[in-house]
Amino acid sequence: MARARRFHAPVAHGKARRLDSQGCCRHAPFEPSATRYPLSLAPPTSPAAPEIDLRITLGRLTLPNPILVASGTFGYAREMERLVDLSRLGGILPKTVTREARPGNAPWRTVETPSGMLNSIGLDNDGIDAFVEHHLPYLAARGAPIIVSIAGRTAEEFVEMSAMVGDAAGAAAVELNISCPNVSHGVDFGVNGVLCEKLVAACRAACRLPIIAKLTPNVTSIAEIAKAAEAGGADAISLINTCQGMAVDWRRQRPILGNVIGGLSGPAIKPIALRCVYQAAQAVTTPLIGIGGIASVDDVMEFIVAGASAVQLGTVNFYNPTVSMAVLDALPAAIATLGATGVAEVVGSLQLKRN
Amino acid sequence: MSSQCSMEANPLGAAYYADQALQTSATIVENVRLASGTYRVRLEAPELARRVAPGQFLMLRLTGGSDPLLGRPLALYDTWLDADGRPRGVDVVYLVVGRMTSRLAQVKAGDVIETWGPLGNGFSTEPVDHLIMVAGGIGQTPFLALGREALGGRDYGEAVRRPLRAQRATLCYGVRNVDLLAGVDDFRAAGIDVRVSSDDGSVGRKGLVTETLGELLDEAATDPGTSVRIACCGPERMMEAVAHLAIQRGVACEVSLETPMACGIGICFSCVVKVRQPDGEWDYKRTCVEGPVFAAKQIEW
Ligand SMILES: Cc1cc2nc3c(=O)[nH]c(=O)nc-3n(C[C@H](O)[C@H](O)[C@H](O)COP(=O)(O)OP(=O)(O)OC[C@H]3O[C@@H](n4cnc5c(N)ncnc54)[C@H](O)[C@@H]3O)c2cc1C
Ligand SMILES: Cc1cc2nc3c(=O)[nH]c(=O)nc-3n(C[C@H](O)[C@H](O)[C@H](O)COP(=O)(O)O)c2cc1C
Ligand code: FES
Repeated sequence: MARARRFHAPVAHGKARRLDSQGCCRHAPFEPSATRYPLSLAPPTSPAAPEIDLRITLGRLTLPNPILVASGTFGYAREMERLVDLSRLGGILPKTVTREARPGNAPWRTVETPSGMLNSIGLDNDGIDAFVEHHLPYLAARGAPIIVSIAGRTAEEFVEMSAMVGDAAGAAAVELNISCPNVSHGVDFGVNGVLCEKLVAACRAACRLPIIAKLTPNVTSIAEIAKAAEAGGADAISLINTCQGMAVDWRRQRPILGNVIGGLSGPAIKPIALRCVYQAAQAVTTPLIGIGGIASVDDVMEFIVAGASAVQLGTVNFYNPTVSMAVLDALPAAIATLGATGVAEVVGSLQLKRN
Repeated sequence: MSSQCSMEANPLGAAYYADQALQTSATIVENVRLASGTYRVRLEAPELARRVAPGQFLMLRLTGGSDPLLGRPLALYDTWLDADGRPRGVDVVYLVVGRMTSRLAQVKAGDVIETWGPLGNGFSTEPVDHLIMVAGGIGQTPFLALGREALGGRDYGEAVRRPLRAQRATLCYGVRNVDLLAGVDDFRAAGIDVRVSSDDGSVGRKGLVTETLGELLDEAATDPGTSVRIACCGPERMMEAVAHLAIQRGVACEVSLETPMACGIGICFSCVVKVRQPDGEWDYKRTCVEGPVFAAKQIEW
């Protein structure tokens, strides 16, 4: 076993950078000229496009725009500061933190699959004390709302960590990761409606910040769990976390992932995620945050129309690191295409009957 | 700059090098065969070329599809210059083994490929008398730029970076057979002394690259006034053998790891390797941001 973790934060290094008093880094500003977006994406909004109101409201939480980055797919944001203008993001979800430091699972931790990937990272993190001390102050100064993702082994740990995040300065909301397939007890609260409702209610009572519940798709009825999260008082519901999957090396007659089973993400799961958002939207009035295989502004619009008030970009950050900026550039024009003047107008605008 | 010094230099115990990175669509200038299943692809990417240093890598991703989904890390082979001697782009050498490289072999001049970089730390630039580079198979790719710079042929990276200098640069290059031998003319043209060995004796000496290395170290031991450092890249078991040999002989050794990577920029935590900490315990570290170059003695093999 590894000893207690060192801090994982990448920090400024060497001659090209200097540390300021908070240990944060200063550098040359983001250079949009050096960054070109995939050709398939629309160019930035033309000046003729009408003003589009990108603000969205998730219960007690108001965000400047609906483009967030998903937990576990954006590191602690420092890694991205050279590639992405962090202040433009609607919200940043740093990697899930746990009460104690965890070394994570043994390699191999990821394997590519058709249009997707499996991961079994296993919540590799430095623990909440290190997070609050070293990562949160940096994150809080980036100009984007910070939604802290937490995972407890027990209800008590969830409640304790919610309170800690609420007491620390800098976070805008808490996301309860009750859906991690890669740790034992990771999904207990995400598959049992009674446990889910109690947990959300207890965290809400212990924490001054808006509470978001992140659900797993690996359940018989996503609507039921969404209702439980709503009954517990969740400000918003994020869905989905990864779908359980597996990869086998038949020649060696072994599983490829060190942890045998992992979570599938990427474009391969987008239809599953859309279905979950749609079903949850039918079942609850709590605002939804769509996650799963989103890779372009078209994908974002599909989720919004299906019922999501906001989205989180996940795996796509790995293979197109500047995608969030491209999506933000293209979003107003996409909203305008539907004749709307704001995101909120088109949320859940799916037409079920043909006219 | 080696990862150890940066760990001392910052309180969070982690290095971070993506501070030069940018994402860009690069035009393919040429894609030429060097040896059996081995190609050199030349990209036009001036801003990347200006920043990249030996031992760093870039991520390459084919455009217009989602399978393969992820980019692949590929080491800097060399930069190429325009008529005025300014870096105009980068060369990458790859072996066709799987999903991405088999498609990469099909790309043509004028095609566009997505890339982000430069990434990773690169090799140490601490001056040394004799730089011994040890390569197994396609693991030779980082050593053209490294050897070229060491011998004063070209300085890489931004002006603030200190270039590596050595009196002598030797490449011990082990291949399975002569068909896979690639780029030897490039290495020799840069002034690097190339010692080839092959598993089947079809080229160079028959035997393992570690035998050549052992002889060089014997030779070096007769001249204690000469400082020696090993830089190694290749299959894991070969790197492990070289690391043990270096530790046994008390010679400084760096290894460039080829851990599978999903993002290359530190955000996915898939590329971890067990790295020994100053207190003797190991911890998982991300190869893409803490490496890919590590001091051999830091790795828990
Ligand atoms: C820092 C760094 C620098 C590199 N530099 C170079 C370079 O200069 N030149 C070069 O040719 N390559 C280099 N590589 C390796 C390169 O990134 C690719 O791994 C390689 O080219 C294979 O890609 P592929 O898509 O063709 O193969 P893939 O389809 O990915 O398969 C490659 C092989 O690995 C196996 N494999 C793939 N994923 C897994 C997994 N998760 N678990 C177990 N086995 C797996 C496959 O079975 C197959 O045998 C470098 C790697 C790193 C980390
Ligand atoms: C490598 C990796 C690590 C992840 N780690 C976390 C995590 O720590 N916490 C969490 O709530 N979700 C985690 N996720 C799930 C994502 O946040 C997201 O819900 C899921 O990947 C689906 O979205 P995508 O298809 O856009 O990636 C992780 C996903 C991946 C691929
Ligand atoms: S490859 Fe993603 S963290 Fe290293």
